[in-house]
Amino acid sequence: MTRYVMVADLRRCVGCQTCTAACKEGNATPPGVQWRRVLDLETGTYPDVNRVFVPVGCQHCANPPCMEVCPSTATGQRADGIVTIDYDLCIGCSYCIMACPYDARSLVDRTEYAFGEAATAAEAARADRRTIGVATKCTFCAGRIDAGTARGLVPGQDPEATPLCVNSCISGALSFGDIEDPTGPIASLLAENQWFRMHESEGTEPGFYYIWDKGKL
Amino acid sequence: MSTSATREIREVPSYCYNCVAGPDLMTVRVENGVATRIEPCHAAAAIHPGLGRVCVKAFGLVQKTYNPHRVLTPMKRTNPRKGRDEDPGFVAISWDEALDTIAARLRDIRARGLMDEAGLPRVAATFGHGGTPQSYMGTFPAFLSAWGAIDYSFGSGQGVKCVHSEHLYGEFWHRGFTVAADTVHTRYIISCGTNVEVTGGVCAVRRHADARIRGAKRVQVEPHLSPTGACSAEWVPIKPKTDPAFLLALVHTLLFEHERRALDLPFLRERTASPYLIGPDGYYLRDPTSFKPLLWDEATGAPVPFDTPGARPALEGRFTIAEAVTRGPDDEARPQHNVAARTAFTAMADAVQGYTPDWAGGICDIPAETIRRIAAEFLENACIGETIEIDGETLPFRPVAVTLGKTVNNGWGAYECCWARTMLATLVGALEVPGGTLGTTVRLNRPHENRLKSVQPGEDGFMVAHFNATGRKDWLAVPNGRNAHRTLVPIVGNSPWAQALGPTHLAWMFSSQAPKEWPAPPLPEIWFAFRTNPAISFWDTAEIGRAMARMPFIVAFAYTFDETNHMADILLPDATDLESTQLIRVGGTKFVEQHWAHHGVALRAPAVAPQGEARDFTWISTELARRAGLLERYNAALNRGAAGAALKGEGYDFSLAPAQAHDVDTIWNAVCQAATAELSHGAEVHDLDWFKRNGHYVVPFKREDWYLYPTMVRLGLRFELPYQERLLRVGVELGRRLHEQGIHWWDHQLDEYVAIPQWHDVPERWVQSIRDMGADPADYPLWGITTKVMPYTTGNNAGIPLMHEVSANLRNHGAVVINATTAASLGIATGDWVEVRSPIGATRGRAAVVQGCRPDTVVIPGQFEHWKTPFAKDLTFPSLNTVVPLSLALTDATGSGADVVRVALRKIAAPAEAGVA
Amino acid sequence: MSQSMASRRQRYWDLRAAGNFIGGGTGAGLIITAALAAAMGAPFRLALAIGLGFVAAGLSLVWLEIGKPWRALNVFFHPRTSWMTREGIVAGGLVPLGLFAVATGSTAAAIVVALLAAGFLFCQARILRAARGIPAWRQAEIVPLILATGLAEGSGVYLIAGAHTLRWLALALLAGLLREAAWLAYRAGLAGTEAAARSLAVFDAAPARLARGAQLAGLGLIALALATGALGVTPWGVAVLAWVGGALAALAGWGVKALLIVRAAFTRAAAIPMVPTRGGGGSRARQASRP
Repeated sequence: MTRYVMVADLRRCVGCQTCTAACKEGNATPPGVQWRRVLDLETGTYPDVNRVFVPVGCQHCANPPCMEVCPSTATGQRADGIVTIDYDLCIGCSYCIMACPYDARSLVDRTEYAFGEAATAAEAARADRRTIGVATKCTFCAGRIDAGTARGLVPGQDPEATPLCVNSCISGALSFGDIEDPTGPIASLLAENQWFRMHESEGTEPGFYYIWDKGKL
Repeated sequence: MSTSATREIREVPSYCYNCVAGPDLMTVRVENGVATRIEPCHAAAAIHPGLGRVCVKAFGLVQKTYNPHRVLTPMKRTNPRKGRDEDPGFVAISWDEALDTIAARLRDIRARGLMDEAGLPRVAATFGHGGTPQSYMGTFPAFLSAWGAIDYSFGSGQGVKCVHSEHLYGEFWHRGFTVAADTVHTRYIISCGTNVEVTGGVCAVRRHADARIRGAKRVQVEPHLSPTGACSAEWVPIKPKTDPAFLLALVHTLLFEHERRALDLPFLRERTASPYLIGPDGYYLRDPTSFKPLLWDEATGAPVPFDTPGARPALEGRFTIAEAVTRGPDDEARPQHNVAARTAFTAMADAVQGYTPDWAGGICDIPAETIRRIAAEFLENACIGETIEIDGETLPFRPVAVTLGKTVNNGWGAYECCWARTMLATLVGALEVPGGTLGTTVRLNRPHENRLKSVQPGEDGFMVAHFNATGRKDWLAVPNGRNAHRTLVPIVGNSPWAQALGPTHLAWMFSSQAPKEWPAPPLPEIWFAFRTNPAISFWDTAEIGRAMARMPFIVAFAYTFDETNHMADILLPDATDLESTQLIRVGGTKFVEQHWAHHGVALRAPAVAPQGEARDFTWISTELARRAGLLERYNAALNRGAAGAALKGEGYDFSLAPAQAHDVDTIWNAVCQAATAELSHGAEVHDLDWFKRNGHYVVPFKREDWYLYPTMVRLGLRFELPYQERLLRVGVELGRRLHEQGIHWWDHQLDEYVAIPQWHDVPERWVQSIRDMGADPADYPLWGITTKVMPYTTGNNAGIPLMHEVSANLRNHGAVVINATTAASLGIATGDWVEVRSPIGATRGRAAVVQGCRPDTVVIPGQFEHWKTPFAKDLTFPSLNTVVPLSLALTDATGSGADVVRVALRKIAAPAEAGVA
Repeated sequence: MSQSMASRRQRYWDLRAAGNFIGGGTGAGLIITAALAAAMGAPFRLALAIGLGFVAAGLSLVWLEIGKPWRALNVFFHPRTSWMTREGIVAGGLVPLGLFAVATGSTAAAIVVALLAAGFLFCQARILRAARGIPAWRQAEIVPLILATGLAEGSGVYLIAGAHTLRWLALALLAGLLREAAWLAYRAGLAGTEAAARSLAVFDAAPARLARGAQLAGLGLIALALATGALGVTPWGVAVLAWVGGALAALAGWGVKALLIVRAAFTRAAAIPMVPTRGGGGSRARQASRP
């Protein structure tokens, strides 16, 4: 079995938003829609303050609440764990958006462009009308994974088969791969370090791991 | 998501060098002739320290290319009146008309002489951020070279927006125009305001992330919690502009609270001037015959010249010297008989004796114990005595570093900080060795490609320093540039970069009110501006705008309309990042933390055809040269190497025919071939087509060459530390020269020329400046400072919507950052509109209430308040630049100021224009 | 900006979506009340018709809200787990059977319709309960709140329709009291949930206080009407009190529901239980402090 997961090493992330921009450009998401973004969180009280940068997006949960509520079955789950949206089934009710504990989904009702009313040449080239009026979210760049694996490439290791955010991450905070591969880099990364998953109590079994320290000695 | 079956997809190699932390390599994806996205250059993962990745700014280049607000035809101004409130009345003209108009003026100037009646160049040019425009201006450097004298005096922010004092002192002491930790080896970094996670670029971010995982500790000392502070092991919220006290206290602690043998004594003895003897007049005691500085030889118990073989120098102590001579100002030889002497090291210890942690704690608002602990941790981690093997060479391993950020290492107090930082490294032998504090590149010295080659033996056992003359005969009494860098700032020297590193705000200030002692400087008859927007990026932007409006003829290479080209007479649309051709040098060691194990060249190939009538900068340069009658000189400059590589070298000759106007590809084809021939010593020659396919060509660069230490050892040189005899002398000489001219308005700056920097009440200078403006400091109770965010830093990209969107994920984007307690006391909540006011004006923005900021400090990130740049002008963001005064009193001896000002803060109603942001 | 500030107000369900919960709640409550009337032999067809009208209006509003209205039938595809699909299916039975009951005046049909209406309302409550991204909705006490609110609104509207005899006043009072109890339980539950701080702030702000005040005033008026009616004095006074009280019971309920859906619905903030260790020798607390 394969289950693709994302690992964000919070020790590394500097909040630069390169992944956010790479995702937006690579997936041609409209203004205001961010499938990947990095939160800028603060805890504590002056002067004992922590500021933490937290990459977020669809957690590709094993038990996705979005899929449970979706009335149209547009939201689905692949055998490799990737949570999908069928743009041709989705009715755009936004219920999945309300059900996602990770604020990972978006919906736009009309086509918007970076500079206003008119599309730039790049936007026109990438426009996909199917995404208007339906829920959208991070796909783990499933298209790249599928095209890459079809060529024998390994997601997370070969850039052509790896999500764009991971490829672009300048601090090395984002890693991607098959958690079920016992000899793969994801398995060892998670075995060697301490991590948490967000809102674990929800029982969603997210496929998004946050490393916060090296492993206990 | 588009699934068109007939897509033609190309991947075009390119680079991003929009900030000094580059260049980084990238790939432009082109679908059916349209650039659609930027991707890393994965093929460069093995040679680029950032694994071939580019930062967030590069992803804005697609929107930059297709920005509907671009200027896409040459334009001329039809309204002769200039000013912010004047409509320029730009109308489209042909390239012929634009270029002929400029060329006619150029020819007219040449006929009358390059210099005006005041001895100043009639042509001036300003390029933006840190020399990066050069990587986008094609062969324009060849045009500039062909022209001759050009005034680069008018700054776009240099001095106040760069790490200015570090540039000058860093390069003087250890060829460190910028200074970095050797992050890949270091264990402990004291970072005073260095915002390396934001401005350090891809390479630095990766290196620091790796260091954190490795367990290196970084202590961030800064008034607000930047991303760098956030990603550090410890945040020390220091009061603004008190860093000199903190750093001097660290020096004190190492000298007085730890055993002497805990320091790197061999390094201090052999590689620094610590043993040099200082006479009672403050100058080195010298051998009466050889004139060489003396040191006390413990072997013979007598003073000997510093380079006496077999001598065992006394590091510290006080001695009586029977016969010696000192070299005073203006080469006065001063005989000394039976004089009391102390070593430079002892002089330093004497000077910092009072700077205890308890003393500094009160000034800096940092517990004394924190200062003691940091000093102890620094010392513990220095690994004195350990070595490491680099490229087969055994080098000292001293994995501790001190880095300084903007506002710490520019303006008053910066000399003290730069010195104390360098001394901290020196005391533990961590200067220019693996793990320690390193210079990265040189700009005031040459060659830029490898700073080690700029090291030549100079006077007194030190490496050569190229100061501007301050002697009676050779001091330049009347400036030959409008910022007077040669006249006022000896340390900046007179290399091609020196003028742009002078006190560049003086050019603007003197354009309206020149010192009475000098002839009023006529404005340049032509001012070229490219990738620069001083009307936004400088101090006191309103005043800069007014000064700019007086310029008689401005040629602006224009991307969109902006606040600076609003004053222009001709706009020339150059093909931008993804549309034009250029080969640049990559690798080796460059600004910030670009430490490669390779060096070579990379091509920016045009991914798409230029929009509208935008033209490749090389074409523009060639046409200007041709029409101005400079073609042969221009081609000669190209042949000499003005495009980045000499076209003729040992075993190869790709020279261009001098009398002919060559097209863009012909020129770059020659450069590509020459560069590869040079790098491979003739073994490989690759043409433009090869580069269009492969992007870059590199050869190994020795990692040992990251460090200056081996060169110093090889040449038997000492770092010119701790004692600043040269600066002391030069300061006295400069004072004499100025006073001989009746000039006293630079006297405060002369105070900075001391042999061992001493604390003075640095923050008080900013409080006093409030009084000088006729206001009451009590009305301006807070510090206003600025910071950067990566999507915008030095990107000249405020008009790119993508940058705005992704930046909005950061809490401080477009905001006034305020401590929560301070905000509560003023009834301010996040999102409220607030006004930040100084005596010269006010700026408005929304509050971001945080815990991670000192209660006495507000932070305004970025540089906004655009009023012309499309998109940016609708953001209604605040800008500290609006409230920071242009001031001689706030200019230090290097000619730099700092982005800091005393301000008042209050909640206000939402302004009418608010809405978009 | 503390962690809790990283939550955002949901911006996808606006007043049209709120209209579905308003129409569905009031309509279902009214249908149930009408069925009670039918069971007691009282006239019910008008009330039933109005109740169906509320339900239909609510569904129409939500149809206007969805991104792909012409694919609305896809809503029926996921009965296994989706309460929205179930709501649709129940509505699919409720509306025609309701029309049948109105047309025929069949008491038995009316009672079945009331059961469907109750089911419909339950589905709506569970829709909110299953919205795990919105802490103000996923609170367990949302279910009784939505049920009681529907009943209070429906029985209130029934009073407006002119049925202000004591038993309907008593029903409205009971439903109103149930709503109060459900509201208090909901608020108490929410107060124990850190993630709902911003929602609580909305409920403490002026618009919510106004709506809640109106709700209580309506309840008071209904109680007064009941007391006055029981004493048998001033029948017209009872009528006025019942009419105003019923109107307030419905309108104020709509206001609270609109606030619940549109204003008080904040996404769940990202939360990190541990602060990353950035480099060696860090002196910082690693346990992320609570916002």
